[in-house]
Amino acid sequence: MATANIRNLNCSQVIAEAIGLEMERDPRILVLGEDVGRIGGVFGATRGLQERFGDKRVRDMPISEMAFTGMGVGLALAGYRPIIEIMFADFVGVCLEQVYNAMAKIPYMSGGTVRMPMVVKTAGGCIGSAAQHSQCLWGLFAHLPGMKVVVPGNPYDYKGLMASALTSDDPVVYIEHQSQMGKKATTFRAGAVVPAERYTVPIGQAAVVRSGRDLTIVTLSACVEHALEAAETLAGEGIDAEVIDLRGLVPLDMATVCASLARTSRLLVVDEDYVSFGLSGEIVARAVEELGPTALRQVARHANPDVPVPAAAALEQAVLPGPASIAAAARRMAARS
Amino acid sequence: MTSLFEHFKAMARLRAFDEACLDGFHKGEIHGELHTGIGQEAIAAGMIPSLEAGDALVSTHRNHMHGLAKGVDAHALMAEIFHRETGLCRGRGGHMHPFDLGQNFSATGIVGASLPVALGYAYAFWMEGRANVGIGITGDGGANAGAFHECLNIAGAWKLPFVVVVENNAYAISVPIRHVLATPTIAERAAAYGAPGWRVDGTDPEAVAEAFARAMEHARAGRGPAIVEATCQRFQGHYEGDHDSYRSRDEKRRMKAEHDPLAITRRKLVAAGDATDLDAILAAAKAEMAGILERVRGEPRPDAADALRYRFAS
Repeated sequence: MATANIRNLNCSQVIAEAIGLEMERDPRILVLGEDVGRIGGVFGATRGLQERFGDKRVRDMPISEMAFTGMGVGLALAGYRPIIEIMFADFVGVCLEQVYNAMAKIPYMSGGTVRMPMVVKTAGGCIGSAAQHSQCLWGLFAHLPGMKVVVPGNPYDYKGLMASALTSDDPVVYIEHQSQMGKKATTFRAGAVVPAERYTVPIGQAAVVRSGRDLTIVTLSACVEHALEAAETLAGEGIDAEVIDLRGLVPLDMATVCASLARTSRLLVVDEDYVSFGLSGEIVARAVEELGPTALRQVARHANPDVPVPAAAALEQAVLPGPASIAAAARRMAARS
Repeated sequence: MTSLFEHFKAMARLRAFDEACLDGFHKGEIHGELHTGIGQEAIAAGMIPSLEAGDALVSTHRNHMHGLAKGVDAHALMAEIFHRETGLCRGRGGHMHPFDLGQNFSATGIVGASLPVALGYAYAFWMEGRANVGIGITGDGGANAGAFHECLNIAGAWKLPFVVVVENNAYAISVPIRHVLATPTIAERAAAYGAPGWRVDGTDPEAVAEAFARAMEHARAGRGPAIVEATCQRFQGHYEGDHDSYRSRDEKRRMKAEHDPLAITRRKLVAAGDATDLDAILAAAKAEMAGILERVRGEPRPDAADALRYRFAS
């Protein structure tokens, strides 16, 4: 504990530390992206790596995402383990072709003869940058088959899941939350302690970050901290919420979710991504499929109501889940029960 | 230097391979579509002498001849095209998506998307200081995709060993390429990337071989990327079943009469007094590919119970 307090890194430093440890261990790992070298990433998550590993393994790319995402595919075919950084998740629109048609499909299309150990590292989530720099899009990646989708929500997981992503033989999309990159480890309610040495967090395992009896809040990324804050408020009102951090979408750990629902029978999915045709609907559908249509007493979703993220702060707050809105959603459920 | 006769032999095999595929296609043995390279044999054949095992080649939807040129086993490739468990990709990829890691050969069905993958190989070779080349093949249509510019700019900026071969068969499906190009040629774009570019007659294997050799030497020597634009004619429709109404009957007749690389090469060989029995060469190639097709016909198709296999390594 003392170690972590002394270190008190922010999340971007934790990620850079994880990548550095993996690059030391495995010379096949390299990083290609915009501004990843000289300044160490616009969020700082590759800071110091170019100085340590040279400008071939940590390469500042021109604004040519289609080319360098495809280069990642070629590098993986050539035996490397590239990290391709797409600065903002929103930018994947210009190179989605290489992500979903090449990276994600080649392992299957090759009949398992080709592995694609490639990490697409990107930053999603809202930080007040409006419609084109605030999208989560993890539901989009998860809808397209062939990639593991990892979405950490605290410092411990940022480090351990990056280590797992870089040892995976499958393609992994690793989505950071912009608002957490500069956030200090000690300010987190969950996963605040980050060991200096290497460790891994397995991909596809959700975590119960708060135990509770009355309802299950299923969420991920920055909304985990929001949900934990909401749960503290709700506890004072006699509502005991369990909070599950999915830590990713593919594979989706429904065992942990269903075990919780078997006890609480009330499900609130909180998702910063768009509500329709995405993660929240998927959780509900799988819960019903796995537990049966009568197992749940209440189901609710709290997510972006299918609008581009607005620029004005008041409008942004109105469409994105936060501690107050999550508590309000839980209260509405409690009032109906 | 590879003799014209050797080129003829290579082209005979390439054509016989795609004709065998056509034979199976018209008998309903291939599920889905098929793109053949008939008429474009001189380009793949002209590449053979300069390709090394360590080079990487990333091709297009029309990739069979490039795969064979790169050393992909003809049986494994044909078995994949006929969706057999014995195919390169166990029948999961099909004719547009062959992957052969051992030969550094792959392809994509998305037009223009081959070049970034080839550039990734070029980056790897450059990092390792290896004298190998990443070769990306595209058609004239794919040369209008943004990736063409992105890749050549990157390769030019860092002098990566990257060669782009443009098979200019004059049509992007139905659109005459001359209607949608800003310049008379694609090769002349090379100047924008500090690279050499050559436009050659892609029905002449010797011309292709010479230009491709120069491009490969340039890239291998660490002098950066190069473009080879080879003009040719695609004898079949864009895909089997294409009505091909965008080309007149007269145009198609002249195409086969005047631009058939095998017929042109044969005339040259005869004029030069080559006494070899060229019909025997053609017959041998045909027999080889027919034999492979017969073998493939007897091989098992994937089991439906395995449809979900190979999604993830773990």
